[in-house]
Amino acid sequence: MNNYSLDAILITLIFTLTTTLIYQLFFGLQKHLKLVWFNPMLLSIMVLIPLLLIFNVSFEQYFSATKPLNQLLEPAVVALGFPLYQHLKTIKYQWKIILALLTLSSIIIIILSTFLTMALLALPEIAISLSLKSVTTPVGIALTEELGGNSAITAFAIILAGLFGALLGPSWLSYINVNSPKAQGLAIGAASHALGTATISKISYEHAAYGSLSLIFSAVITALTSPLLIPMLLNLIM
Amino acid sequence: MKNVIYSVIAVGLCLLLGKLSTALFGGLPASLYGMIIFTILLHFQLLKSNRIQKSIEWVLQNMGVCFVPAGVGIINHFELIKNHGLVIVFIIFMTTFSLMTLVGLWYQKIVNSSQTHE
Repeated sequence: MNNYSLDAILITLIFTLTTTLIYQLFFGLQKHLKLVWFNPMLLSIMVLIPLLLIFNVSFEQYFSATKPLNQLLEPAVVALGFPLYQHLKTIKYQWKIILALLTLSSIIIIILSTFLTMALLALPEIAISLSLKSVTTPVGIALTEELGGNSAITAFAIILAGLFGALLGPSWLSYINVNSPKAQGLAIGAASHALGTATISKISYEHAAYGSLSLIFSAVITALTSPLLIPMLLNLIM
Repeated sequence: MKNVIYSVIAVGLCLLLGKLSTALFGGLPASLYGMIIFTILLHFQLLKSNRIQKSIEWVLQNMGVCFVPAGVGIINHFELIKNHGLVIVFIIFMTTFSLMTLVGLWYQKIVNSSQTHE
């Protein structure tokens, strides 16, 4: 028994450290290369999957051995309160209209996403996962677990939504004449969360402020509405 | 170092209050309640933001690693990706751009109209 638990601790240490090391390696590389699509999260996953397959480790074994990382998710969400606090002053006068706009838009897109997924695939689990893809990862994963979605699909969808907005967002928005930095920040923060926001933050302070504000508002709005909205929509369709 | 301990205690306390709120009121995940409580305490200067800033910036920069294990879970869904991967990517692409376009155009309209009023 004693031996066994010592093994478990050792395995936890090895897997957690390996994951962290691989991530840090890509994180450092991205900082150096400055390429948006060189996403450390995505690349770490793509390196870890073949490793697990080669060494014949099941996902369940891997996941329970990386529990420490997973347990840090909750404090990570709490930490997001800091940028929100920093940007509250920025929108003192406009918060009502911004809140209304983001609430309506998020709800419309959750409805669209759910219907589109059900029409094309008819898989409720996937519909739940995809409708939560625009919020920041810790919130999306917490919600998908609560609503019975698939957290792996959600995690992937979130990364993709982030990459689309980060890579194509600014040029698309300029193309449709959305040129105000505030509007661009809000749009990319709402659709592409932290990944998009981090990318456009380099353009201007307003991009950064409105982006992080938007991503946090959207996360709270989605967390409040989706537990009611998504089951209702699925009931309606099925 | 003292500031790091201060930050850890601050976040831990907010998370604890968040768990309490979820138990009492339900509605939001504990971590989101915690985040809102954290914002409020900072706003009313019950927590000292200058002592927390550095640690939080470090956390925000490095938190990505915490999501890797959940993402690796895709390993159990190869069949799904093989059958529906393209459709799933298509849905993500469409809805991401719809949301971005909607919010962007709408707010740009507000910006434009407030400029003509001035």
